[in-house]
Amino acid sequence: MSMAAQTFGGQRSVNLGFAVLIIALYIFLLVPVVTIVGASLTDGLMIEFPPRGLSLRWYQEFFARQDLVDGLLMSLRIGAITAVVTSTVAMMAALAGQGLSGRLSGLFQLGMTLPLLVPELLTAVGLLFFLYKIELGKTVTGLQFGHILMSFPYAYVSISAALRQVPPSLEEASASLGATGWQTFRLVILPLVMPGLAMGAIFAFINSFDLYTISLLLKPLGGNTLPLALFDFLTYEFKPTAAAAATISILLSIGGVALVQKLVGLQRAF
Amino acid sequence: MTTVEVKNLRKSYDDFLALDGVSLTAETGQLVTLLGPSGCGKSTTLRCLAGFHEPNGGDILVDGESILNVPSNRRKFGVVFQNYALFPHMTVAENIGYGLRLQKRSKGEIETRVFDVMKLVRLTGLEDRLPREISGGQQQRVALARALVLKPRLLLLDEPLANLDARLRDEVRWLIRDLQQQSGITAFYVTHDQSEAMAMSDMVAVMKAGRVAQFATPREIYQKPSERYVADFTGEANFLTAQRVQPVAEGRYSVHVAGADIEVEGVPGLLKNAAAELLLRPESLTLVTTGDTATFEGEVIKCAFLGASLHCEIALPEGGRLKLTAPPNHEVGAGDRVGIAIDLSHAWLMPEVAP
Repeated sequence: MSMAAQTFGGQRSVNLGFAVLIIALYIFLLVPVVTIVGASLTDGLMIEFPPRGLSLRWYQEFFARQDLVDGLLMSLRIGAITAVVTSTVAMMAALAGQGLSGRLSGLFQLGMTLPLLVPELLTAVGLLFFLYKIELGKTVTGLQFGHILMSFPYAYVSISAALRQVPPSLEEASASLGATGWQTFRLVILPLVMPGLAMGAIFAFINSFDLYTISLLLKPLGGNTLPLALFDFLTYEFKPTAAAAATISILLSIGGVALVQKLVGLQRAF
Repeated sequence: MTTVEVKNLRKSYDDFLALDGVSLTAETGQLVTLLGPSGCGKSTTLRCLAGFHEPNGGDILVDGESILNVPSNRRKFGVVFQNYALFPHMTVAENIGYGLRLQKRSKGEIETRVFDVMKLVRLTGLEDRLPREISGGQQQRVALARALVLKPRLLLLDEPLANLDARLRDEVRWLIRDLQQQSGITAFYVTHDQSEAMAMSDMVAVMKAGRVAQFATPREIYQKPSERYVADFTGEANFLTAQRVQPVAEGRYSVHVAGADIEVEGVPGLLKNAAAELLLRPESLTLVTTGDTATFEGEVIKCAFLGASLHCEIALPEGGRLKLTAPPNHEVGAGDRVGIAIDLSHAWLMPEVAP
């Protein structure tokens, strides 16, 4: 066998190993999803995989449970507000950060992503005291505040990455053609960062929908987000209703990503 | 129309002095080129004109009025960028009509004016394409049309040909010059390419480390440079050290160069025995048979046959080398002794560095 062929053979085994690794990774990531979706479709009384017969009865059961449906609605509402507020504020922050130079810009980036770096529990405890101080303890507004804070970095990272892709010369060209700053933003910047903006909003929504620790500590009186309601539920019952709820969450996430794909195209979002 | 006067413009970043007192003028309808290597301040000057940078000192007068307090979106200057800076999400027609749309012109007027200017830059038929779907040369023509459609007071071009290949560069260069002359628009043009600067400009400012080394017509810049830097930057040049400089009249000197005493023109104001160099462009040197009317004699170091001409490098016995272009049918080769005749009316005496 010649040298070239040997190298080629070596290359092939490396490729094969890589493929196996990727497949293993996918299995690792997808098994829980497949299991939970499968389990939610069972006709039996326990969460189990493979499902014992097929039915949608646990979905029916889920929507019949007022506490879970209330949790779902609360999570949806908080998530939607979080998505709108974070993406708007993150857009403004990204624009402001763009104007900074060198070291300042690095510090600004760090500051904007701080909620990701500080342990969620610490932020939650800090917020808890702070919210009581300003008399927003145990209120939905307070919880909303916490969700916006925790989801902000996701929106910021996505939007500022999109903004960095816009060459500064476009702004200059627009100005030289007579555009005011606002016109340049509306006609040039915004359309170009739209995929990143939409993706940032979706990230913020999904993150908010998923938050547990902070929701637990800031839990408003008489209100529960879906993860909290689900956990309460699972404490006493081990019914496939929980699997149905999880499947609904997964569908919402997929729906969000599909929406971005449909509106602006995923390739352009990254 | 538009006259521009740049007065003692200064700009510094943190600890870097980008512009150290730049002064220039442009008369109505002139194309003024800022020529120099990267970092010499030519783009910074243009960006100050465009309003993208704020100078730290000096002034820019357009038709006699300072524009430093006018923001770039109200200067009514057309800017053409090196990377075209087309809006990627707009079609060619939308890009060109962008400025008119901002002016709230009627749809009909926008359409007519966009159509007319597209015809002018030969882009008709590409209206609905996106920038990424057309070639680099076409993109640069869109950028040009987008600026011209607004009938700007001043056209600013920042290395508009740098990203084009050689064939397109020529085509777009002449298009720019033709349009600029037809419309009689005053223009500033930034480039590091001396042949581009020579071919297109009414006036050339050769820039060096944040200053204007010389501001003159292309012919003067080439034939009567103010210092060695300018001569070097504007084309192939030979320099010989001049000794015993002796002024004989205003701008005329007798000098001793490489063993010969000659009388030449030069930068006015050189003092007796000043340190100076003699500039000899390759085309003012002719190969002759030794003994004839030769000014210098030397030995051929190398000779390259280029088809239409012969490029030779010749070492002089007193030191110094001369590069020259000879007719292709001269049969000379390395090691031959040859004579060189100088067209003295095109030799030029200048200081190594302008005072």
